[in-house]
Amino acid sequence: MAGFGFRFAGAERVALANVDLDLAPGTCLLVLGPSGSGKSTLAMALAGLLGRDVPGTLVGSLAIGSGDRGLVFQDADRQLVMERVEDDVAFGLESRGWPLEAMRARVPDALVDVGLADRPRAVVATLSGGQRQRLALAGALAPGPALLVLDEPTANLDPAAAAAFMARLAYLKQEASTTIVVVEHRVDDTWPLADRLLVLGRDGRPLAEGRPEEVVERDGARMIDEGVWLPRRMEPAPPVSAAPILGPDGEQSSSAVLEVLGLGFAYVAGAPVLQGLDLAVRAGERIAIVGANGSGKSTLARLLVGLLPPGAGSIEIDGLAPSRRPPANRLALAGLVFQDPEVGFLATTVDEEVRLGLPRGAGTETRAARLMTALGLPLETYGRRSPYRLSGGEQRRLSLAPALLREPRLLVLDEPTFAQDRAGVTTLVEILRARAEAGTAIVAVSHDERFVASFATRVLELRGGRLLDRGAS
Amino acid sequence: MTEADPRADQRWQTRDILVVAVIAVAFGVFFWAFGLVWAWLGFLGPAQSVLYAGWLLPAIVAPLLVRKPGAAVFAELVAAFVSMFLGSQWAVDTLASGLLQGGAAELAFVATRYRRYDLPVVVVASLAATAAAFVHDWVVYYRDYAPEALLAIAVAMGISGAIVLPPAAMAIERAVRRSGALPEGLP
Amino acid sequence: MGLSVHDDARTATRLGRTSALVKLGVAIVWLLGVVVTPDPRGSLTMGLVALAAARLLGSVPMRELLRGLAPLVVAACGIAVFTAIFAAANTASGAVLLVEVGPLVVSAAGAQAGLLVGARLLAIGAISVAFASTTSPTALVDALVQQGHVSDRFAFGALAAYGALPRLSTDLRALRDARQLRGLRADLHPRLLVALLVLAVRHAERLGVAMDARGFGQGPRSHYRPLAWSALDPLVAAGAGIVLALVLAATVS
Repeated sequence: MAGFGFRFAGAERVALANVDLDLAPGTCLLVLGPSGSGKSTLAMALAGLLGRDVPGTLVGSLAIGSGDRGLVFQDADRQLVMERVEDDVAFGLESRGWPLEAMRARVPDALVDVGLADRPRAVVATLSGGQRQRLALAGALAPGPALLVLDEPTANLDPAAAAAFMARLAYLKQEASTTIVVVEHRVDDTWPLADRLLVLGRDGRPLAEGRPEEVVERDGARMIDEGVWLPRRMEPAPPVSAAPILGPDGEQSSSAVLEVLGLGFAYVAGAPVLQGLDLAVRAGERIAIVGANGSGKSTLARLLVGLLPPGAGSIEIDGLAPSRRPPANRLALAGLVFQDPEVGFLATTVDEEVRLGLPRGAGTETRAARLMTALGLPLETYGRRSPYRLSGGEQRRLSLAPALLREPRLLVLDEPTFAQDRAGVTTLVEILRARAEAGTAIVAVSHDERFVASFATRVLELRGGRLLDRGAS
Repeated sequence: MTEADPRADQRWQTRDILVVAVIAVAFGVFFWAFGLVWAWLGFLGPAQSVLYAGWLLPAIVAPLLVRKPGAAVFAELVAAFVSMFLGSQWAVDTLASGLLQGGAAELAFVATRYRRYDLPVVVVASLAATAAAFVHDWVVYYRDYAPEALLAIAVAMGISGAIVLPPAAMAIERAVRRSGALPEGLP
Repeated sequence: MGLSVHDDARTATRLGRTSALVKLGVAIVWLLGVVVTPDPRGSLTMGLVALAAARLLGSVPMRELLRGLAPLVVAACGIAVFTAIFAAANTASGAVLLVEVGPLVVSAAGAQAGLLVGARLLAIGAISVAFASTTSPTALVDALVQQGHVSDRFAFGALAAYGALPRLSTDLRALRDARQLRGLRADLHPRLLVALLVLAVRHAERLGVAMDARGFGQGPRSHYRPLAWSALDPLVAAGAGIVLALVLAATVS
């Protein structure tokens, strides 16, 4: 790549500019950068998709040696096309017109490479998130690409699945000497793999490039400033979690806001997701719940706010059971913030989105305006924009607004740091701390260890349907 | 991405195919829920048909969002197959009704060579699709009905096609476009 | 939502191995037959034959077939009742009245008309259930593309979109939850439809880009699951044709 740049059609600013890159075959490049720095655009450029599928203007030159390119996105659902595992792997080969015998030989190999060889006829919908992402990797690898590009491949995976995925990638790098480019936020797993590092700044221009250790030495501070995550061992120690929350009279508040006793729940009779679960949360506490994907964390989140009725046991917020009250009366009790902000948007402008469901009146208008400004999304500038067009960080902050505006006693967040850069997470932690100090009880379900370390006063693990104490952090 | 040749604009790209297909599938999901409501509305008799527009939405909304030849037919076919595999009430018959409704709507858009998508064209397409639906329903269900009952149904469906469907479809189109979900270059 | 499970055992049955194109053709032709036949027994016969074929030649468990038919029974009854009430025969001269409730009358002929339409609906349902339970969407698309010469871009595009169904249902549930979380009732407000469509379009965009990245639509396509006509195809088609002919002959006389 030389002097490469790109602007999306209809966008005001350039997505990428002045990227110079020279990759030798068999090396692994790690691309870092804050939200909006054009990392995904770079990934698409390398995969050869810009200009053709994605309308916009290209500047500069891009030359990739002969051979195919493979692309893996963070969301497995958007890449998997067929119903069965082996059919999906074969999809890319079919599209390229491979002869039948060659496909029959190649598909099992690709599955072995990603550790999915035992069930080639399995139905894709029954695979776990980690398995699906590995399947997507197999699909990208099957044609034997010279260049493999991965855009935040482990963002949706829990730590165990992410590690498994990266292990596969390491194996592939060793065995097949494919050139690999990885765009990531979650640096810890990928760092060992990287031969070179490219850091993009907020404006889409490269900040730094070179061997990882050198880059960090030279520009580490700048990277942190721009909002880029570094591996934990290289970061300054995270801020210590706040001391126990003191009530207005200076003493530790002891009123229990949330009481869960013997909670049990099953979607299908006989297969309980949660059983015998107890939890007590006081006002101002910040609880983090960790656990593997599929352990029932999201189910627990929905139960706590009354979206699902408990199968057994009880849930009470301030003595009231949220699932038994009509939605309008539940608001003061509990609010929930979804993992994927887009799935919670109900309107096509930020204005409507914030106002939806609120009673009309001057009081609410001013409160809403003030909250939005505090969130960094003042209504004067953002009001008429579409929620779907905001950046990831902006969407996350917008998704907090409906819950915060209703000032519930209990606030539950499901994976709040999903796809957030450093600035996004820091802002989020600040907002949550402020809420906690004002007396809200906060429960965050997350597998982001750094977030948990800087946010939580108590950490619990959801395992076997129950919550186990991991100790105060 | 300006095209000098207007005909090139009318070629389907992968993303066009997928947008129409996924819209059809989304309507299939929505219909699943709507179908339950519809059964209860059946007690209103012919008046129920005023809401018939609900079933015809894919045939109008899809071409409005993806302005390429065949969008109406493709959307209705996909929606029909989806509802058949999901086990809806009307089953294999939805293929026939879908084809007729989509085809009828398509005629209206063909007539303007896929260049006009304003209210008059949408009303014509809606009426055409509703008429096709009426003819199909007559053949399958209403052949033995009394003329008065048939008239009542026809009037109700006419209202649906002329007054309910066009604004609903256009409002949906406007809202989806406003959300910015469709990138530039998707006319 | 009832989706049949098409495991390998089922695909190996006689109906499973019949070309999806043939099955679709049979379903459509039978649909026409059912619509045309003037005797409810004709429709019911065809419906029963369809179910029997699925059960015997397709190894579909009875429970699954009945589950597929269940929503139709209610609809069929409703349609039958309404047809009986609104039948033209009710006001014809010489009508034999069965029921008189105020202004509503139902004659014998009207009741028969109701039965006819009800049976028709049940038969249509049975045919579809038989089709859907013996044909997987993948098999249908493969047959359409390889044997029917339908455009592979459209057919596989539709298949990929169909695969997004679980995702869209989850999305719909999340949207309804979001409404509840704001104190609104979770009914099917038009806003929900718009939000669902927006999510659908965004998903479609990303899926389209991913498919293109895998080489979709950029040249002639080969087939990992090659299909070939077999002896079953003309047999099933002929068998279906004979049944149809017999039913029509018996009833249209």
